[in-house]
Amino acid sequence: MYDFDVIETPENIVLERRLAGIGSRFLAGLVDNLLLALLYLILGLLLMGILSINPFNIRQIGSLESIGLVLWFLAFFLIYWGYFCFFEWLTNGQSPGKKYIKIRVVKDGGGAITFTDIAIRNLLRVVDSLPGAYAVAGVCMFISRKTQRLGDLAAGTVVISEQPLEYSAKDGKKRGIQWEQEISPESLRVTGLTPEELRLLHNYSLRRSELTLQARQRVLPKLILPILQRLGHEISDSSMENLEYYVDYFLQLTQNTNNPETLPPKGNS
Amino acid sequence: MTPASFLETRQAAWHRLETLIAKAGRKGVCRLTESELHELTRLYPAVAVDVSRARMYKLSPQTQQRINSLAIAAHGLLYRRKNARPFRAIWQFLSNDYPRLFRRLKGYIVLAAVLLIVPAVATYLCVLQRPSTAYLFVPLGLDMPHTTEEVTAEDISERFRQMPNSPMASRIMTNNISVAFNAFALGITAGIGTCYVLLINAMMLGGFFGHFTNHQLTFEFWSFIAPHGVLEIFAIIIAAASGLRMGISLAIPGRITRRASLTRGAREAVYLVLGTIPMFMVAGLIEGFITPSYIPGILKISLGIMVWAMAMAYLLLLGRSNSTVKAAESINK
Repeated sequence: MYDFDVIETPENIVLERRLAGIGSRFLAGLVDNLLLALLYLILGLLLMGILSINPFNIRQIGSLESIGLVLWFLAFFLIYWGYFCFFEWLTNGQSPGKKYIKIRVVKDGGGAITFTDIAIRNLLRVVDSLPGAYAVAGVCMFISRKTQRLGDLAAGTVVISEQPLEYSAKDGKKRGIQWEQEISPESLRVTGLTPEELRLLHNYSLRRSELTLQARQRVLPKLILPILQRLGHEISDSSMENLEYYVDYFLQLTQNTNNPETLPPKGNS
Repeated sequence: MTPASFLETRQAAWHRLETLIAKAGRKGVCRLTESELHELTRLYPAVAVDVSRARMYKLSPQTQQRINSLAIAAHGLLYRRKNARPFRAIWQFLSNDYPRLFRRLKGYIVLAAVLLIVPAVATYLCVLQRPSTAYLFVPLGLDMPHTTEEVTAEDISERFRQMPNSPMASRIMTNNISVAFNAFALGITAGIGTCYVLLINAMMLGGFFGHFTNHQLTFEFWSFIAPHGVLEIFAIIIAAASGLRMGISLAIPGRITRRASLTRGAREAVYLVLGTIPMFMVAGLIEGFITPSYIPGILKISLGIMVWAMAMAYLLLLGRSNSTVKAAESINK
């Protein structure tokens, strides 16, 4: 089950955005923190490098060592406080971890986030991560209506999911079924099905492998017989094998109508 | 109109909108030409209606979601604030908005100052009464060597001078800004965490002062604390005030909801704490370069007070003219 964030536009249309769950937020945080750990490791090695040149030069203004150390402290500070701020500002709400998990920070109630929002939610990270492993954030997201941590509540932001919806598409992925193509006018013409019928068959084929045999025997005749009757097919053999064959037959037809006029798969914007 | 013909007729518009959104990218509508912008304003309401129609025709969840997210992206492009140029925004903030914000929130500043000064004085008196309690308040690393009886002014000077200059300045600076950010962030605990930060700093300050007074080193203490410390403590007070602003907005929302009150309070508070960064930068540079130098103590103390007076003048006097007031009001909206 997904939670939704609802935007009411000035045109009186309700737009829905899927909120990211605690799980995906945690995963994104994990990815970000692994990256941060890597950055700190590099910083540590750099510090060892700076100190190994000539420690006695450090007090001398303008020496290589002292400049190196100044830059080191600044770099540490900027990474510690600035990592999330910088990336979320640069990519309009996606730190590298969020980008990887495909979630995004947006303004609660619609609109783009501003630098102020980003600064608030990420400065409050130090409290959200108390007493360790983002425990405060976890409890807060669990309690709050829109899965917000303290930083989100203070900044007025929510994190939404941008993963495409998939309904148990294990089977569908394997066979490369393109959702947008099924209801293309062309495939409707070729099969003679209504969009509802075609979608029904697709949903069935996607979930087929996850249903028990008994369930399939119960569902399939109810599903396909009215369709075949409407199209005037003679059904001499109503065994499971034959009915399954009809499902595949229709879907095969739609696969062959490769209509270039349909929407391209998402991910190019 | 059947679902099929709906898809057929509307697809061109969706494609076009998708292209426009991709072209605008993160920078927003300023990337588009004038005719493209007109097109966008025509396409968006139509696609917003398509969201409802797709729902009505019961198209597949995937298709509905595609149209929905297209409409959301266009909505995000059209309904947004003007993109300010960063450097101009920073200048506007420092020269006008920040002093005004400071004056508006002066009640919180006074509150934070009281919360710092009262425990500091209490600690000071406590250490004067019983010198051994100093070790409860003063962190060991910064303390005198254990042979405290023979500590002289030279010892203290040497101890402070052992620190390297420029790396020290940047370290102190970043450390202090971190303390300020923590004081702000801990405000979300209804201000209790911020009070804790203030208490710790107050006890350290009072403890140090009492400890040095016990050893008749009051003047040396001031000449090593005042040059940077006056401004630094002032900035810490402001940072704590920002934490209190957020905490009190959460604890006492008044007539609006707690959530709305927190969002509003956090917005003011984060500006208040971000404005302390330049102060900490100045204080850090002084602490790194002037505090350890061999300039006479009286000069150092007057420098510290002068720098603080300048900061106060900046905060109390700037952003008062009429034109800037109007500019600020337009931004606050």
